[in-house]
Amino acid sequence: MINNSEILLRIRGLEKIYSDDGGTETPALRGVSFDIRKGEFLAIMGPSGSGKSTLLHILGFLDRPSGGSYIFENKEMNSYNNDELAQLRNKKFGFIFQAFNLLARSSVMENVKLPLAYADVPEAKQTPIAMKAIDAVGLSHRVYHESSKLSGGEKQRVAIARALVNDPEVIFADEPTGNLDSKSGGQVMEFIDKLHNQGHTIILITHETYTAEYAERIIKLKDGLIESDEKVSSRHHAEFKK
Amino acid sequence: MTLGNTFKTSIKGLLTHKSRSILTILGIVIGITAIMLVMAVSRGAKDLILSQIQGLGSQTIIVRAGREPEGPSDFASIFTTSLKDREVQALKNPAFVRGVLAVAPNVIGSGTALYGSETKNASLLGTTTDILQALEIQPRYGAFFSEADVAAHSSVAVLGSEVKEELFGDSDAVGETIKFYDRNFKVIGVFDNIGQIGAFDIDTNIIVPVTTANQYLLGNNHYTVIMVRVESEAVIERAADDIRQTLRELHGITDPDKDDFFVATQADLAERVGTITGILSALLLSVAAISLVVGGIGIMNIMLVSVTERTREIGLRKAVGATTGDILRQFLFESVLLTSVGGVIGISLGAVLSLLASVILTRFLEVNWGFAFPITGALLGFGVSALVGLIFGIYPARQASRKSPIEALRYE
Repeated sequence: MINNSEILLRIRGLEKIYSDDGGTETPALRGVSFDIRKGEFLAIMGPSGSGKSTLLHILGFLDRPSGGSYIFENKEMNSYNNDELAQLRNKKFGFIFQAFNLLARSSVMENVKLPLAYADVPEAKQTPIAMKAIDAVGLSHRVYHESSKLSGGEKQRVAIARALVNDPEVIFADEPTGNLDSKSGGQVMEFIDKLHNQGHTIILITHETYTAEYAERIIKLKDGLIESDEKVSSRHHAEFKK
Repeated sequence: MTLGNTFKTSIKGLLTHKSRSILTILGIVIGITAIMLVMAVSRGAKDLILSQIQGLGSQTIIVRAGREPEGPSDFASIFTTSLKDREVQALKNPAFVRGVLAVAPNVIGSGTALYGSETKNASLLGTTTDILQALEIQPRYGAFFSEADVAAHSSVAVLGSEVKEELFGDSDAVGETIKFYDRNFKVIGVFDNIGQIGAFDIDTNIIVPVTTANQYLLGNNHYTVIMVRVESEAVIERAADDIRQTLRELHGITDPDKDDFFVATQADLAERVGTITGILSALLLSVAAISLVVGGIGIMNIMLVSVTERTREIGLRKAVGATTGDILRQFLFESVLLTSVGGVIGISLGAVLSLLASVILTRFLEVNWGFAFPITGALLGFGVSALVGLIFGIYPARQASRKSPIEALRYE
């Protein structure tokens, strides 16, 4: 059950500074602080270079911050080593990327099974679990198709199935509709919205307002700082559907 | 990730680039094939030489004039006159050498034999009747010369099978007269096909009394080799020691390094052959090993390319939960799998080629070149190929496993 008051993750003064080989330092995040509650649907918006992808990567344990603190489920991220972070990504997080990032030569089934394999789910149980996830994104008729032969929309739905197959706490979506036409994009957003309704916490990065409006809350970043953090008054897509 | 799953992932990774995988393992295939071939051929050669030495029997001791040559340039050491009648008599004396059955002094040479219009280059073996007992041989046709023939310096000859074949073909040789070293010899006996006995190939020899050979053909009064037959295998080492002792006393030698003769038994010769073939195969194996190193570097190169090419895949795998160890094992499995497959192909290819070599050698050289699948070679080859994959796969696999997930995902 969703407990709206429970804080899932908390960041305080989060900083990320990239330094190139010449020693030049480029700050991507310059002290960002907010909380995300369990089950929340958050969109992070901002122009390119605003630090939104960097923020998502750190929140998703794909990267480490240069400063500040990040507490996930009451534990500081920096107390984990890289392999522990990998295991947490596997069990707690699901990722949907703009470029889909599927294993091109592998079938839909093999792609969706991937997180299960790293979770050491017994071989015999992997197929039924993956099948359920593939069903959920409406690709039962494409199970053994090579993923490179699918359309863009279908590819992203495979990625969604892969993201939800381990039943994660949080699903991170990094511009999930960026490479799709508006029709498939809309479909993908509907699936993401459905995941939210099933209780998953969604953290979405987008620069499209219509996509962001699926969210309950929008954080706008600019130059590595929070510009605004607002509840969405008119979740018209979602409301409209209901 | 379980090892089974990692294994499957690695196989899938390799099958995705079939032709590249095959080209990559060629170096390993060639290296392992070479190792198998070297092992099989050197073993065949060793067996062949040993079978010839074993023809000597375990009761015969060879005493050769001259010090044991220390190398190819030390050849002059065998041209000595250290073995004469005095030595032969001493070796026959049971007070000096115990357990002796027969002592056969020999001289060797080579010359042209003539019969009618037929000529044949033949080896000369001048010996005594004791040779029959020393080598356990008997003529097939006619008879061997007698002690009286030896004493009388008779011009009689016994022919090896090959000499007889060349000079007389199918017709009878016994009773005919041949010319050898410009001297007429009456053929009194012919040997059957005997083959190699120790250093001797009786088949290509014309055997005459040692006295005749020394007086009329060579103008010598010393012997090249004395063959000593002992009662049993059990006493052979003692007899060999007795011979050394006797000859040293006779020649006033106190330092064994200054011996002007050398004594060898079948066991000594076999050991020497083992040493020589061992050195040869070590030499050849080291060449094969170089090809394996080259093959290994090829594997490393391709694995590094593969790691770079699959940066995004690595990033994705890490994003969905692959640990550093998972990625390391995946790529290490790939390289070990590659080289092991190369090893298996090399082992099969090597076995087929060495079988082919043994068939060809047996047919065209008319030697009994045996083929035995070298199981130790196969196991060694497989082990080495897997090891090459492991050693040359570690660096690329480490490179892969240390990629940060986000760097890997961002890679274009």
